[in-house]
Amino acid sequence: MDLVANLAHGFGVALTLNNLLFCLIGCLIGTAIGVLPGIGPVATISLLLPITFGQPATTAIIMLAGIYYGAQYGGSTTAILLNLPGEVSSVVTTLEGYKMARRGRAGAALTIAALGSFFAGTFSTILVAASGPLLTQVALSFGPADYFSLMLLGLVISAVLAQGSVVKSIGMVVFGVSLGMVGTDVQTGQQRFTFGIPELSDGVGFVSIAMGMFGIAEIILNLERPESRSVMSGKVGSLMMTRDEVRRSIPSVLRGTALGSILGILPGGGAALASFGSYMMERKLSKYRHEFGSGAIEGVAGPESANNAASQTSFIPLLTLGIPANAVMALMVGALIIQGIQPGPRMVEAQPDLFWGLIASMWVGNLMLLVINLPLVGMWVKLLAVPYRHMYPSIMIFCAIGVYSLQNNVFDVYQTVFFGIFGYLCSKLRLEGAPMLIGFVLGPMMEEHLRRAMLLSRGDVMVFIERPISATMLAIAAVALGAMLLPNLRKGKDAALAEGG
Amino acid sequence: MSWALRRRIVLAGTIPALLTARAATAQAWPAQPIRLVVPFAPGGTTDLVARLVAAGLQERLGVSVIVENRAGAGATVGSEIVARSAPDGYTLVMSNIASHGISPSVYRGRVRYDAVTDFSHIALVITNPTVWVANPRAGIRTLQDAAARAKSPSGLDVATSGAGSSNHLMVVRMGQLIGKELNHIPFRGAGPAMQAVIAGQVPMMSDSLPSAASHIRQGSVIAVAMASAQRHPAFPDVPTFREQGFDLASDSWFGLSAPAGTPAPIVERIHRETMAFLAMPETRARFSELGGTPGDLTPEGYADFVRREVAAWAPLVQASGATPD
Amino acid sequence: MKINTKDLLSAAILISLALIGLWLNMDHTMGTARRMGPGYMPWLSFMLQLILGCIVLGFSLFSGPDPLEKWTSQEVAFLIAGGVVGMAAGIGAAHMPGWFSSGWNPLGIGMFVGCMVPSIVKSWRPLFLISAAFALFGLMLEPVGLMAAIAASVALSALADETHKPLGVLGLVVFLCVLCWAVFIYELDIRVPVWPQF
Repeated sequence: MDLVANLAHGFGVALTLNNLLFCLIGCLIGTAIGVLPGIGPVATISLLLPITFGQPATTAIIMLAGIYYGAQYGGSTTAILLNLPGEVSSVVTTLEGYKMARRGRAGAALTIAALGSFFAGTFSTILVAASGPLLTQVALSFGPADYFSLMLLGLVISAVLAQGSVVKSIGMVVFGVSLGMVGTDVQTGQQRFTFGIPELSDGVGFVSIAMGMFGIAEIILNLERPESRSVMSGKVGSLMMTRDEVRRSIPSVLRGTALGSILGILPGGGAALASFGSYMMERKLSKYRHEFGSGAIEGVAGPESANNAASQTSFIPLLTLGIPANAVMALMVGALIIQGIQPGPRMVEAQPDLFWGLIASMWVGNLMLLVINLPLVGMWVKLLAVPYRHMYPSIMIFCAIGVYSLQNNVFDVYQTVFFGIFGYLCSKLRLEGAPMLIGFVLGPMMEEHLRRAMLLSRGDVMVFIERPISATMLAIAAVALGAMLLPNLRKGKDAALAEGG
Repeated sequence: MSWALRRRIVLAGTIPALLTARAATAQAWPAQPIRLVVPFAPGGTTDLVARLVAAGLQERLGVSVIVENRAGAGATVGSEIVARSAPDGYTLVMSNIASHGISPSVYRGRVRYDAVTDFSHIALVITNPTVWVANPRAGIRTLQDAAARAKSPSGLDVATSGAGSSNHLMVVRMGQLIGKELNHIPFRGAGPAMQAVIAGQVPMMSDSLPSAASHIRQGSVIAVAMASAQRHPAFPDVPTFREQGFDLASDSWFGLSAPAGTPAPIVERIHRETMAFLAMPETRARFSELGGTPGDLTPEGYADFVRREVAAWAPLVQASGATPD
Repeated sequence: MKINTKDLLSAAILISLALIGLWLNMDHTMGTARRMGPGYMPWLSFMLQLILGCIVLGFSLFSGPDPLEKWTSQEVAFLIAGGVVGMAAGIGAAHMPGWFSSGWNPLGIGMFVGCMVPSIVKSWRPLFLISAAFALFGLMLEPVGLMAAIAASVALSALADETHKPLGVLGLVVFLCVLCWAVFIYELDIRVPVWPQF
């Protein structure tokens, strides 16, 4: 029972008063940051890093991890309450979460987001502890061709995110991919579709698109239909989940956790796929799939669990290979290296306090977030009782400052105006924003993996079929596409027949 | 919110707000967090060294130094962002042999900054040799093995931190020495490239020693050859390129630069603090562990160094025929 | 034939953007499948977008009717006027000396003016006043600082909702100024000019 002994050792480290305190600070700050649009965890963590100077490495890392999870929690709060997704994973949460809030079930949506995430966090912490090094092999078995196919599958299933016509939403996915091509070509340095605008040379800003197409467009639409917003601010609803909601959420949380745990291990895009992969799964597997689009609790429970599970397991490559998958993890590596610790395969033996302490504190952090967030649900929901005429200018200003602060450049503000108007137009034409955003995020990664796969295969496309992982992904994508298109085609044919008859 | 409450907040909030904001504008540099742009993905030497320097400067300047990764196109994307930023001392870039030496020649006509005139160069931080590493299961122990693999029908794939890096040029020049072009696989930085090598997707990699050092020590990759004149003191077992019959040596360098027009006192201050940080025994120990030598140039000296590097690489790139495509 | 106007317009957007993209992409080399040039992936995605646009177009011809809300001639006229005046204002500003033509101000001025013109029509107000207020924030932020920018854009956006009262707006402005100062300046210390700079 090595695992138990190790975990006990870890809890011994994590549960010291000092570490608990820093874990709490991290979680609080992270939650606050997640709520603010445009302010990401990287900037905050860097700002707060000095607090941990003079503290042991374990303490610093525990606080950083707290901020990281806290930001994930906070992000879903604004997505549910205000339709403001600050990052890719919360785009999915807006789909059902915001609809639930409009039905007066904001309390239930926030509660299940917190509970689901906690469960997922607990499960994936155990997973990391029990089989971290083994799971690294999963990450290492993915080559460029496999990543490309995984992302292609992601794009195909993201069309399911849409409520309306599948063809239109695939169209939007592809448009998102095209939009992702704007900027400097990573490989050749060629400026593509930038019209000589230097601000576009690093691509169109994700936050600008998300704030414009979701936040600003939603404000405009709400102002256009005064009747719906009076309903919204009037109906706060019960905070508690009903027994039925609990019952419906359990299988979704389990599925989301499993999917998220696997995808999180894959560096470079896996975690981004987790939440909407889970959404897709729920829409296909849930008994209540007809409720999707009007606020189905499964559509919050699954993706939120998946997201949190993925953010835990994405530590595995860092801890076992020593290679950070994203900027937040790079900060952690930085913090370790400054203290003279090199993350990597030897860290488990060389620094057992740090390794097991971190794993235990992952769980403690999740517990703390639950304790912080459940009472806050009531407060957040009260925010909805603020009259909308006071609400919308505040949302607008927060978006504007957040967007500006990304680069300290007003160009981003104007870009957001543009996407606000575009988002309004899209919603009038029933073109969906969520698939477009996912295409936008995955597009550039796909291009990179596609190029690399072809370089390695000497230009042979068969590589996508010869590699078993890739072939499986492509097969699933094909089946999913067929399953989605068939009813659509049949409906079209029926309509045509009805027309003819 | 009730009127009474709002009034109270207003009264409580406005007055200190006025006072503090006035005070802030009068303060001297640095009054705000400093942004240090790393033009590569996390996990490479640029990133590693930048984080060490950021921590050192943070402590000495008393403000946060935020490291921001902006990778792409041979480190030119991140460098361009800095070249365009306000020269107020709050935006710095980890300038390096790619962004301020080789890329301007490799990405001819596509780089929209001048590596010399668009920057106030501040300090050279580290120089280090290049090392070629291989996946332990790839069956490549020596450069002869590598050459044999390159000449076989399957060819040899070599990963690098990106086109325009010194590693890219190493790959091109090595191919010319072997007499068979190597299959250059560029990544967004040494971090992702190293991961592909450890996973065995790419058998070999050319990397700056600091980012490879820990992976070599941990045994996840094996060091095949060091591109330095003599064997490296930190890795005395690793033979040089020259010992193995290939006359190649390549050092890469990393430094701090700010947008052109940054006030001289600020440049002077950053330079002074960087030098003090580099002189610390802990830093020296860490650097020698990473296999790098701390830099000791004045701001003028570093600017001159960059000018000479850009000029020196242009004909070499031309001769090698290295292109990003 | 029951034409689905919404789908028809969606198809038009997808197809026209794809065509523009493909046209712009002619500047970029395609490369080979082995060594893809910068034009390869954009070509793939724009072609796919074009094909999907055409499919949507095909469906739209008999999946209707799904008409758009009717626009009055006044709405259309002011929309076009907004576009024209906005463009003119932007181009004009670019040729003016000083502040008007510096940085992204011509773009901001064009957007602001272009959005203000159609918002004369009441039914356009939610869309264009919010957009104008956002653009105004961008225009004012750097020259006159955060506080003035908040005040101006909140006041402008308040016009988009008729239930606002002047005193309520004033209260909101003060509240937001204090809140934003506390959160963004005091706590997060982001780099934004707070007060007018002379």
